[in-house]
Amino acid sequence: MPLSEQRSTKLLRMSEIIYMCLTALSFYLLIMSRTGEARTVWQVLHPAFIPVLFVATFFLLAIMFSSEKTTNKMLFIIVYSIFIHSFFPIVFPAGDNSGQQMILGQIRRVFDNTIIHGLSGWPSQSLQIFLVEMFDGINLQAALSVIFARMLNVDIFYVHLFFVPVLWGVFIPIASFLTTKTLGGGEKASVLSSLLVSAFPYATYFGAISVPNSLGFIFFFYSLCFMLKYLASNDSKTAYLMVAFSLFSFLSHYLTGIMSFSFIFLAVVFKAYESEKRSPCVIPRASLIVSFFLCLSLLPMSFIYLRFVGSITPVFTIAKFQELPAEEIAGLLLVGELIYGFDLQTMLLVVIGPALGLLWMICLLYKLEKKPTAKFSTPILFLFAAFMVVLIDYRVLKLLMEGLPLNEERLWVFRDFIAVPFVALAICSAVSSVNKFLKARHPSAMFLTRLRNLSKRNVLYVLALLLTLNVLIPTVLAGWVTYSLRAAYPRIAPLQTTWYELEAVRHIEENTEEKYVVIGDVWTIFAGEVIVGIKNPRAYYFGEFNKTGYDLFLNMTQDPSPQWMLHAMNYTDTTTAYFIITEPRVGTEEYNRIVTEAGTRLPIYDVFGEGKLHIFYYTK
Amino acid sequence: MTTYKRVNQFTKVENRIVANRRCVFTAVSYLAVAILSVNTAFVRSVILGATASLIFFVINALFLAHALFRKEDDFFRLMFGVLLLIMLLGFVGWLIMIVYNLDALRFTLTLVIVASLSSSANIRTKYKNAT
Repeated sequence: MPLSEQRSTKLLRMSEIIYMCLTALSFYLLIMSRTGEARTVWQVLHPAFIPVLFVATFFLLAIMFSSEKTTNKMLFIIVYSIFIHSFFPIVFPAGDNSGQQMILGQIRRVFDNTIIHGLSGWPSQSLQIFLVEMFDGINLQAALSVIFARMLNVDIFYVHLFFVPVLWGVFIPIASFLTTKTLGGGEKASVLSSLLVSAFPYATYFGAISVPNSLGFIFFFYSLCFMLKYLASNDSKTAYLMVAFSLFSFLSHYLTGIMSFSFIFLAVVFKAYESEKRSPCVIPRASLIVSFFLCLSLLPMSFIYLRFVGSITPVFTIAKFQELPAEEIAGLLLVGELIYGFDLQTMLLVVIGPALGLLWMICLLYKLEKKPTAKFSTPILFLFAAFMVVLIDYRVLKLLMEGLPLNEERLWVFRDFIAVPFVALAICSAVSSVNKFLKARHPSAMFLTRLRNLSKRNVLYVLALLLTLNVLIPTVLAGWVTYSLRAAYPRIAPLQTTWYELEAVRHIEENTEEKYVVIGDVWTIFAGEVIVGIKNPRAYYFGEFNKTGYDLFLNMTQDPSPQWMLHAMNYTDTTTAYFIITEPRVGTEEYNRIVTEAGTRLPIYDVFGEGKLHIFYYTK
Repeated sequence: MTTYKRVNQFTKVENRIVANRRCVFTAVSYLAVAILSVNTAFVRSVILGATASLIFFVINALFLAHALFRKEDDFFRLMFGVLLLIMLLGFVGWLIMIVYNLDALRFTLTLVIVASLSSSANIRTKYKNAT
């Protein structure tokens, strides 16, 4: 091995060791930040965490632009990706509040075998509803989480919290790599794209919470990847895999499923167009345009069809155009919900990636216009059409529809997935342009020892370019990826499930032998969901949206007497009732009043969190 | 040199598993299922569960990868195999859960079905290649 090669290998190994040490240090700092009482991760993160993570990202980028093997680079990225998607389960005792805890509450019923025929249950209201609920994404996630929990013999709580962060961390970078590769990107651009997925805040957020929609996004990205492979080859296996991933995407969540199938439709049309585009007939081009509009209408129309199978009634409306001021409408059209109270930095972090991706897409299409026979023209054109579908559909859902069962911003994850490869291609193209320019203009710059042959002005010029290549670009990229976390993890949130709420629920569960019911606020219900599940006949917690449960809690706060607890016991066929009240949830004054009033009529079961949580009980 | 040796070693192990002479690795996969089943019902050890799961995953993921992604690079082939195995586990588990539930017995049934499907996909590919 030549001396220079030996030296660069040594340097590479050193960078890898430093990267691994820094990642381990970041992990240690994150564990140090773990808390039992916080609203956001930012409140408790160790002050050294972000700087250490930034330096680790810098070294990761240095490794990525080196001559290291692709497999090793991908392994480093996977470790990094799992890590940055695991903030919630590492920092908070029960992960992020609400959504994923509600899902865990449901899944626990399958884990504890308290339900049959899936989470829809049987007998259902009707066969039609049973069939629809059968395909609800939560069923697939429940099956997967329960299987993994039984395989590893750990509680479903741990499997559920880390399930999506790990799956996302492992498989999304790989999907991004393969998508970029299919678009003709080199090895470095493909590896870069697998890291850059983490620079898109919405994608990062969905990778950090264990909900069926996140699972659907993973399968969607693979179906997209196989759509590109399908466009580039005639292999029937690729077509089957494309459909299989779309089917799984649908089983995980209907939003991702519908998007997958509408893109498959588009891919099939593009494939047909590819073989006929050279004919002088206008039909292929016309059918492409018609198909694009059909594809565009699939998602909004699917929401309309929801009214036939559920209680949700989405409708098309122009009410927003009539009610909202013109500048708000313009803002919604441009950047969507970001106009509502988001600061400029967050807006930039969310918008910059897709904007860069779109610009490069247009640039590539412009270049391809001159060379219509170029190898990757169809996949690029297809992705551009898919990107447009997402952009237009988002605006249609946001401005022309009402009563949707989900927030429209979820569509941004699709947009981000399509944009990532183009951002990576753009950056790599810029880097290689600077490199080529440097080599062409100043070949001596490749050997620093020969710089003295140049004039002082040229030396400065060459050094500036070298600095841009080796320091500025990695610093900016590392800064971008690290700083994106600021927009990915919420900065405003309600108090997360606290350690004493979890302790209280655990204590009741471990020390009550008979059937019991717990009356508490929605936060107590979240804590109950993660420990014993929802509507468990032995340990009953009312659902988050259960009116009876809410009314009982309200009555207990206004008049804390045994009659409401008896009512709850009769309603749930249990023999013991607990009433939990927590100080940070209701405020100190209200808490003291309720505790004093309840204390005169009900026995105290236990106190947790240094007096912040009281449990009262009553038995039949 | 070390990396080359490691890769070579991986390919050797992979080839040995997918060759599956006298269905030895299918049997090992079933043995892993049996261990997982006993562990879920009686032993309840995390280490035993993790070890048996790893064996189950490596064997069946390589079977599936060999059947469907032979042309991919080593690393991506393995990862595709793992993803496909997860999908298969999810799909079979989902079906069984809808039909009844996913208790310890039906969990074992899920693993047996998935192991059988992966093994037969591998055997089918092997014979297809031989002819």
